[in-house]
Amino acid sequence: MEGMFYSTQELWTWWIAIYLFLGGLGGALVVVSGLTNMYVKEHKELVLWANISSLIMLSVGSFMLFLHLLHHIAVINVLNPMVLINKPDAWISWGTQFIVWMMVWSFVYTYPYLVDSKFWRGIPIIGGLIGLFGWVGNLSLRFHKLIGWLAVINGIGTVLYTGLLLQSFPAVALWHNPGVPLLFIVSAFSTAMAFLLIALYVFIKNPEDHGLKVLFERSDVILIGIELLIIFVFFQFTTYGLESARYTAKILWNDMGWIIGFVGFGLLIPFIIEFRGVTKGWKGSAPIVLAAILVLSGGYLLRHYFMYAGVYERPYPAINSTHHLQMDGSVQTQ
Amino acid sequence: MTTPHYAMVIDLNTCVGCNACMAACSMENQTPVWDNKWRTYVHDMEIGAGTENEVKRRFFPRLCNHCDNPPCMSVCPTGATYKLDNGIVLVNDEMCMGCRACAMACPYDARYDVTYDDLDKGTEFYGELHFRTSPSVDKCSFCAHRVMKGLKPACVETCVGSARLFGDMNDPKDEVAKIVASGVAKPLMAHLGTRPNVYYISDLERNV
Ligand code: SF4
Ligand code: SF4
Repeated sequence: MEGMFYSTQELWTWWIAIYLFLGGLGGALVVVSGLTNMYVKEHKELVLWANISSLIMLSVGSFMLFLHLLHHIAVINVLNPMVLINKPDAWISWGTQFIVWMMVWSFVYTYPYLVDSKFWRGIPIIGGLIGLFGWVGNLSLRFHKLIGWLAVINGIGTVLYTGLLLQSFPAVALWHNPGVPLLFIVSAFSTAMAFLLIALYVFIKNPEDHGLKVLFERSDVILIGIELLIIFVFFQFTTYGLESARYTAKILWNDMGWIIGFVGFGLLIPFIIEFRGVTKGWKGSAPIVLAAILVLSGGYLLRHYFMYAGVYERPYPAINSTHHLQMDGSVQTQ
Repeated sequence: MTTPHYAMVIDLNTCVGCNACMAACSMENQTPVWDNKWRTYVHDMEIGAGTENEVKRRFFPRLCNHCDNPPCMSVCPTGATYKLDNGIVLVNDEMCMGCRACAMACPYDARYDVTYDDLDKGTEFYGELHFRTSPSVDKCSFCAHRVMKGLKPACVETCVGSARLFGDMNDPKDEVAKIVASGVAKPLMAHLGTRPNVYYISDLERNV
């Protein structure tokens, strides 16, 4: 039938963007810290920073998702690992299991370091509890590499899941394409590098970590560069693509929050700062820390705009949305 | 006997926009109409441009398309959205956790929230609730409970313009199967690969 209607959605908004951001960042932190600790340089503090932060991020993200469910008790259906046999086609099933098991294995992997940590042992009650379960640390050390890999594999799954979840919605051109998981993977690892750089420069502050800082800075520059290229590909895809993608292009490329906020401050400026750091070096740590903060903000903005700019095409107006898009790119609110 | 495969044909030429189907559906399925949540809805649209005589009014009934490849089902993590052998896609409200992934995946905007508040209001409005005990993301069921008794869906039964036909695609003698086979009725957005089972006879050929 002629005359299609275009609208965005209001079902999954900023809170899903936060969940996707924290999920991607938390998953990538476990992967990067685990692999670094196992194969690059043993670094207890880095693992503690990465894995405890990841645990908090995933708890906050999952709790936000949980709060927005309509029927909370039924969440038991996805927490049950049998969900992978009953519903292997649903990415939320995989994602929930990846997140749960990543949290479990990364915590067990980190446990021996918690036992050794003066800071954590010094916290009232928590320190005592850590000591009480010291046997977990001993057991963990016996199979440390295996446990590390279990955490890493589930971390990779968590990172992958956030993009594949969006890709599984066929009606929206912006989401239903293989570029989304790739973009989210690259962005997740870039934000993880940024987070670890902040941890190394601001909190850990160990001069022996110079090599690690250089490695993370170089990796981040490469990742931001790739992300910029993928964003350019999305620019082409949306601007010259399907009609619903063109509406997305009108939303994104007319929005200063996307252009200046995300592309400018979230990608280009940190890329320039970190590139300068890698090629010529900076005197102090402030520029790199600033760049890392910008990368983290950009990581959230990317997901925020992706949720808001996904456009549905239908032969009738949407009931689920009050935002109906007009040909000139303006939005009519019902 | 082969298992039936149910489908609906909607004739846009004969829908008069009386909304009797919406009323019948909401009474039959106790939907939260107070929140503008419907299992079926009839859009009142204008088509054409120019003078008064060139602009026409089109009534466009919509509902869940009971897709053969339902994306709402493949994304559903709990298994709450499922498909019967006869092609009808249903929601088990007790299993549904209300994540709304199905609503995000549905290209046809066929899903709506049923909240705790809706359950309370529903009991006030309709009396005892026959179809739901917990919140969920609900949709049209093709009145499976009626169809299994050999009845037609409430919207089809009540349609004054006979704009809605319901039948079995596996029965070559069925009127719906014949209309679809003739090519005059087309599904919506078939290019998405959803294989919908609601077909529309366009009003355009006659009006242009
Ligand atoms: S129309 Fe939407 S809700 Fe109905 S079966 Fe298809 S995808 Fe699912
Ligand atoms: S809201 Fe319910 S039916 Fe829809 S995807 Fe989530 S669990 Fe499945």
